Amino acid sequence: MSFSNQVLVIGAGIAGMEASLMLAKSGKKVFLVEKLSLIGGNVIKNEESFPNLECSTCMVAPIQQAVLQDPNIETMTLSTVEKIDGDVGHFEVSVLKKARYASMTDCIGCGMCYEPCPVSLSNEWEENLGEKKAIYVPTAGSLPNVPAIEAEHCLQLSGKKECNACVEACMFGAIDLSETDEQMQLEVGAILLATGSDLFDVSQLTQFGYGKYPSVYTSIEFERLFASNGPTLGEIKIRNSDRQPKAVAMIHCVGREEQGYCSGVCCMVSLKHAHFLKHKLGDVKLFNLYTDFCVPDKTHQKFQKNIIEETQSIFHTSMKDIKVTEADSVLNVAYIDAKGKEASLNVDMVILAPAIIPGKDTEVLSRIAGIETTEIGFLGLKSGGLSTVETAREGVFLAGCAEGPKDVQSSVTQAESAVGGMLARLSSLTS
Amino acid sequence: MKKKVGIYICQCGPNIADNVDIDKIIESVSAFNDADDLEIVAKPYGLLCSGEGKDYLKQEIEENGLTHLVIGACSPRDHNNTFIGVCKETSLNPYLYKLINIREHCAWIIHDKDKATEKAIQYIRGGLRRVLYQSELFENKLDTNPDVLVIGGGIAGIEAALSLADADRQVFLIEKTDRLGGKAATFKTVLPKQQDAVEAIQLKIQTVQDHPHIQVMLNTRLDRIIGFLGNFEAEVRSIDDAEKMTELKIGAMVVASGFSLYDASTHPDFIFSGDDEVYTALQIEQMIAEKNQVTTRSGKAPKSVAMIHCVGREEVGYCSQICCNAMIKLAARFKTQSPDTTVKVFFRDLCLPHQDDQAFYNEIKAQGVEFVRVNRIATEGSQIKFTTMDENEGSELFDMVVLAPAMIPADGTPDLATKLGISLHETGFFQEAHQAINPVATATDGIFIVGTAHGPRGIQATLLQAQAAASKIRVQLIPGEQIVPEVRVSETLEAFCMGCKTCLEVCHYGAIVFDEDKGISVVKEAVCRGCGNCVGSCPSGAIQLKHFTNPQLYQEMIEAVQ
Ligand SMILES: Cc1cc2nc3c(=O)[nH]c(=O)nc-3n(C[C@H](O)[C@H](O)[C@H](O)COP(=O)(O)OP(=O)(O)OC[C@H]3O[C@@H](n4cnc5c(N)ncnc54)[C@H](O)[C@@H]3O)c2cc1C
Ligand SMILES: Cc1cc2nc3c(=O)[nH]c(=O)nc-3n(C[C@H](O)[C@H](O)[C@H](O)COP(=O)(O)OP(=O)(O)OC[C@H]3O[C@@H](n4cnc5c(N)ncnc54)[C@H](O)[C@@H]3O)c2cc1C
Ligand code: SF4
Ligand code: SF4
Ligand code: SF4
Ligand code: SF4
Ligand code: SF4
Repeated sequence: MSFSNQVLVIGAGIAGMEASLMLAKSGKKVFLVEKLSLIGGNVIKNEESFPNLECSTCMVAPIQQAVLQDPNIETMTLSTVEKIDGDVGHFEVSVLKKARYASMTDCIGCGMCYEPCPVSLSNEWEENLGEKKAIYVPTAGSLPNVPAIEAEHCLQLSGKKECNACVEACMFGAIDLSETDEQMQLEVGAILLATGSDLFDVSQLTQFGYGKYPSVYTSIEFERLFASNGPTLGEIKIRNSDRQPKAVAMIHCVGREEQGYCSGVCCMVSLKHAHFLKHKLGDVKLFNLYTDFCVPDKTHQKFQKNIIEETQSIFHTSMKDIKVTEADSVLNVAYIDAKGKEASLNVDMVILAPAIIPGKDTEVLSRIAGIETTEIGFLGLKSGGLSTVETAREGVFLAGCAEGPKDVQSSVTQAESAVGGMLARLSSLTS
Repeated sequence: MKKKVGIYICQCGPNIADNVDIDKIIESVSAFNDADDLEIVAKPYGLLCSGEGKDYLKQEIEENGLTHLVIGACSPRDHNNTFIGVCKETSLNPYLYKLINIREHCAWIIHDKDKATEKAIQYIRGGLRRVLYQSELFENKLDTNPDVLVIGGGIAGIEAALSLADADRQVFLIEKTDRLGGKAATFKTVLPKQQDAVEAIQLKIQTVQDHPHIQVMLNTRLDRIIGFLGNFEAEVRSIDDAEKMTELKIGAMVVASGFSLYDASTHPDFIFSGDDEVYTALQIEQMIAEKNQVTTRSGKAPKSVAMIHCVGREEVGYCSQICCNAMIKLAARFKTQSPDTTVKVFFRDLCLPHQDDQAFYNEIKAQGVEFVRVNRIATEGSQIKFTTMDENEGSELFDMVVLAPAMIPADGTPDLATKLGISLHETGFFQEAHQAINPVATATDGIFIVGTAHGPRGIQATLLQAQAAASKIRVQLIPGEQIVPEVRVSETLEAFCMGCKTCLEVCHYGAIVFDEDKGISVVKEAVCRGCGNCVGSCPSGAIQLKHFTNPQLYQEMIEAVQ
């Protein structure tokens, strides 16, 4: 028996979406499993992407739409894979599809149901910089543009109290509180894991003051602070205040020593943030603190040069023993400069560039998929033989940041490559 | 013929109905009914995008015998494809339909209902006028050739060929030298995670040579190509025998012409001649490949080695991504050859952007390789002068100096770009279609760029790109399947074209050719992407873009801007 005309893609970030579209175009039926209520992954959190500083939504929304509208792709949001049995050509996959409580076909995305919901929650997707209701879309422009309800916080669904506010607000009868989680069985020939990555938890490194001082941010928090569909609608204001920063330090490589590798993209991200700040605030002093500049692409050095020129950032090197302290809302960043001397800066905002680390679910996924992780903990490729996308389990492939830190270009390339690997493997079964 | 236009306004539940007076719209557009040859059917509907809504539309189109269709609803981003799909299931040509966004553009943004209604009426009248000027367009299917030409027989080209060739798809691989493998094939040292790379590459070369569906043509270069995705014709010529020309019919091309190295001897800070103990990293690789050891010109093993990173980096304007690793690898090799060799690495920034790079660096450092961060560095023969970050100056003599010159595009890259009609990036490497989301394609459908022809990179990244391009070809050119080219393309109006050739300059896709006999420009429809650049550039208005013609846009505009 062979199910080789169906494939499974786990994770609907840029890698998973690109792979799904290509697989669908080649005639495969694609099941795209995404654990969140929206597709798009990390890229849609960034207002603009390096190296072209183009609008990420403009770049990615057509891809998201194409995925959602492709008749060969069944996008399963709020879903996770629980079990993978079988072998290449005939995997049997169990998927837990959590109830959304709003109908994908009837909802038109008008947003009338959020307002009346009495439950406010911290919005994780917005890096907890904003709020959402128990019925929510993570951000304006989410695709699919259909809300989901967090059952454990919804008054009605959690049994705390009777409530029907959202149901009443919906003119389309799109909300159904009796929906239940679904356990599904899929039969697929090949599997692609494209579940992305996470960021190093910088609160472990107390010297940076993250979590202690409100004006210390991580790079991804800053992306949301800058985004025009973010919690402040793009206004750069320091947490719990109305203050705009006048001087900002961007600290590279946070967690690099602890993790033991360079993430390869955070230098570019920090440069991009310098540009964002200059662009939006104009009169702002910028400092990038780094050890090595890692700008490895034909376009990146020019990007670096342009931004240094534009922002007049001051760059120090060989920074060691960084310590961030706060007095009267002013942050003091002490470090050892290039000449080995003690130095310090006064700023009112610090943006840390944390290392890119394996996604939270990596261990679980590696167990379910029956593949190894690398020494660092990312999902591992088959060892030896110059492997690029195939894992040790035949028919299971990797792409994007699930395999290791990378930028959008490399994530897309790896996804495209994986598609070829999957198609070739499947056609070798039938011929 | 009498025209019968259906105008359907979606209420979108309360979303449109609450903020726009739909009855008023219907009343207003019905006023067009008076013309003899024009009949309007205008109706509201609850939710046109729903299953029932779509069935309703289909029924309306057929029962009323509609010749044109205008829908007033939401953003085309949401439902243009939905309604195109509806048309396709009826006798109405989808190019005789127009979606007008009265939700996001009117109902959702204008709080005054009268004003929102007024704007919606203007837009819909614009749509009505436009649709009357639209023409039927027919998608036409073309047979395709699935075969592929790969240019360059380095690992990039080899991998692309291997990923594509099978019983249904022939691959032609042309290589300008007399052997396959490019630079990497000669390496005897590789990075720790590439232990079996040397054998793997040799195996790949052997497989390509023996492959029943790959035709390798050594000492061969490309002469010219014509055609478009699915139907290219290429002429390739033997370099030894200019008479020997072969014509190939292919559907796609992969450009894998590789890299060269920056000539360090042209750099004013690096003064050395062929007698000096100064080598490029590639020369060291070759030395290892030839005699399995590194020696000075006098045949002795060097006791002290200086390794200089980033040679020419400033001049070329980018970091070459792999040379830090390559230098660390060679530093390790010097230590294996003789553990008490002094190895000093002079660098400004270390670029180690892969998971395993830093661990290898740490290991090499632990073996006693010294890393010196410098602000400036110069050589005179094997005498090195440098300034460290803390502005201390140093000068040291070494037995051997190894340079890591920047990777630059292969010789002949501009010429190849011209022949292929594709662009170069400002660094001289080939230019991709989109740096982030379409990295291995070019602006010309069917031509792909991979490996170091695309930009500096290592073996793994090269293989990934080659495989990615192969995947794209697999998906776009399925053996035995036809392709449907874009129909909204440009055409030149012969009578108006003055033959000024302005349009040839602005078309990035090489879609316009000049007909010397007639003295006019002609658009190759199969190549044109419908970007409209040429339309705007033509001083005599001789080019029009189908479905976006001047009369169509004008009709829509006069209503919309009233
Ligand atoms: C702050 C920041 C800024 C950046 N800026 C840029 C930039 O400007 N330009 C650039 O090129 N790159 C940038 N990057 C890198 C870029 O974001 C990544 O290269 C890219 O997002 C990787 O795509 P991906 O598809 O591999 O992973 P992701 O985008 O992370 O997508 C993974 C998807 O998988 C889902 N998922 C995770 N686990 C599971 C599971 N168990 N089951 C189902 N689904 C799951 C996730 O919800 C997510 O939707 C930036 C990164 C950061 C951190
Ligand atoms: C010193 C050094 C050490 C390195 N070490 C490592 C390492 O340890 N690990 C690693 O991953 N990477 C390493 N690299 C990088 C590695 O060499 C490249 O990634 C790899 O060789 C790229 O392969 P390619 O096919 O793109 O290019 P090439 O190897 O340059 O091959 C291109 C081929 O195309 C042919 N060609 C060119 N123009 C034409 C034309 N017009 N028509 C027909 N044929 C043409 C050429 O003759 C050549 O055969 C190293 C590079 C250097 C310089
Ligand atoms: S039913 Fe739940 S989700 Fe709906 S409004 Fe009430 S608390 Fe909110
Ligand atoms: S569920 Fe109903 S109210 Fe909520 S966004 Fe969808 S259609 Fe609007
Ligand atoms: S990319 Fe830059 S910031 Fe990130 S780990 Fe590497 S050197 Fe540090
Ligand atoms: S990889 Fe970049 S930083 Fe390293 S030697 Fe090459 S150009 Fe210099
Ligand atoms: S519209 Fe004109 S410029 Fe654009 S691709 Fe077609 S011929 Fe070229």
